[in-house]
Amino acid sequence: MQSSGPESASPITNRVQSLSSAETRGKHRVHAEVKRLEQEARFLEEELEQLERMDKASAPCKETLSNVETRPDPLLPTTIGPLNPSWDRWFEGPQESKGCRCWIL
Amino acid sequence: MSLSQPKMSVAELKERHLAATDTLNNLKQRLNHTRRSLLDTDLAGYARSQGKSPVTFGPTDLVCCRTLQGHTGKVYSLDWTSERNRIVSASQDGRLIVWNALTRQKIHAIKLPCAWVMATAFSPTGQSITCGGLDSVCSIFNLNSATDKDGNLPVSRTLCGHKGYISSCQYVPDEDTHLITGSGDQTCVLWDITTGLKTSVFGGEFQSGHTADVLSISINESNSRMFASGSCDTTARLWDTRMASRAVRTFHGHEGDVNSVKLFPDGNRFGTGSEDGTCRLFDIRTGHQLQVYCQKHSDNETPPVTSITFSISGRLLFAGYTNGDCYVWDTLLAKVVLNLGSLQDSHEGRISCLGLAADGSALCTGSWDTNLKIWAFGGHRRMI
Repeated sequence: MQSSGPESASPITNRVQSLSSAETRGKHRVHAEVKRLEQEARFLEEELEQLERMDKASAPCKETLSNVETRPDPLLPTTIGPLNPSWDRWFEGPQESKGCRCWIL
Repeated sequence: MSLSQPKMSVAELKERHLAATDTLNNLKQRLNHTRRSLLDTDLAGYARSQGKSPVTFGPTDLVCCRTLQGHTGKVYSLDWTSERNRIVSASQDGRLIVWNALTRQKIHAIKLPCAWVMATAFSPTGQSITCGGLDSVCSIFNLNSATDKDGNLPVSRTLCGHKGYISSCQYVPDEDTHLITGSGDQTCVLWDITTGLKTSVFGGEFQSGHTADVLSISINESNSRMFASGSCDTTARLWDTRMASRAVRTFHGHEGDVNSVKLFPDGNRFGTGSEDGTCRLFDIRTGHQLQVYCQKHSDNETPPVTSITFSISGRLLFAGYTNGDCYVWDTLLAKVVLNLGSLQDSHEGRISCLGLAADGSALCTGSWDTNLKIWAFGGHRRMI
């Protein structure tokens, strides 16, 4: 088969060349995917190492409980203080539900 | 230009791919096993062991105190200002409305260049708003600028670069100059609004990240370098804005799209809401799943969770569902203590978005029934 420039290559040569390029691109994709998988595995190994030294779940549970109970919360029936009078602004003045009803055209 | 040939043969590459996949699966199993062995309790178990009892609401404690009417299409997204009482909402009608939630007045009504909006957010100073959707760009509006001849607020900046829809957006706290977006192109992006350029891309083609659409993001108010993202790939991820190359941690557990993520008020945990009908609470430092919130609804179904938020202490978890329910969970005891969807004046359709007022005194819900509603505590408060 002649190996002259693309302008003078036969359709069959072009097809063989494009198949070979497709195969090369395919190999590059798989190669990139392999690299990604191997990197992911390294991340997971790091995470596993960290886990060996990690606190059990009861530690963050205890922390959560403590943090929740030390913050005043206007939506709770029972809460630590200080209470803020502005929390009740939603119930001051006329509350009739027909407010601004203009429809945006 | 010809591609350089990798040195391995196809067969060798395939073998290496198989080996790498095996190693990864093996590691994932070991991680799962080790994590499970560290779950000596969940939050509800721990709270019960400390003698905690569930929050109890009287019948007129949490009430709908305002209905904001004006959109002519489904409401998709809402955000409160960090001060005062304003809310911005985005709707299928192609408009943003800025409301004074206290007076119900419409302060601005912005007709959008692209009607297919999915997300909106207020800037920390309250002077700008942003929105994005199927147009794949984030548009910024300065609320102080003059309107054009049609009475519309002009777009002051457009953030272009995503290759998919914008599902969520949030300004970085304390600055009007940066915001983070989540996208259908599987990435999150940190933007510099002043220049309109991307500062960092989290995930995507060349970096480790989500492997499906990002549906939600939530920035840590206590540490604005940290944000969480939720995705159709069923995971939530935690990111450090100084390290875009990989997520700090990936959180597994959900069995469906993670539709909503929200940082917990103490900044050390975050919640998620999913297509699988459950909400979960994850610990940031240890990576542990601390609690699953799951309950069958009145029709014996577990409808998908559309959106979540926490009360200001974190004691209550609000979750909107596709069937119109809005469960109020006692976060500590994992019990549903109220359903806003069954109260008087409740929405007539799916709750698509939720947000808490900055001082925690009110919850706003947005719905496919085109309305927004404000809920507040009108009962007798007892101080400990």
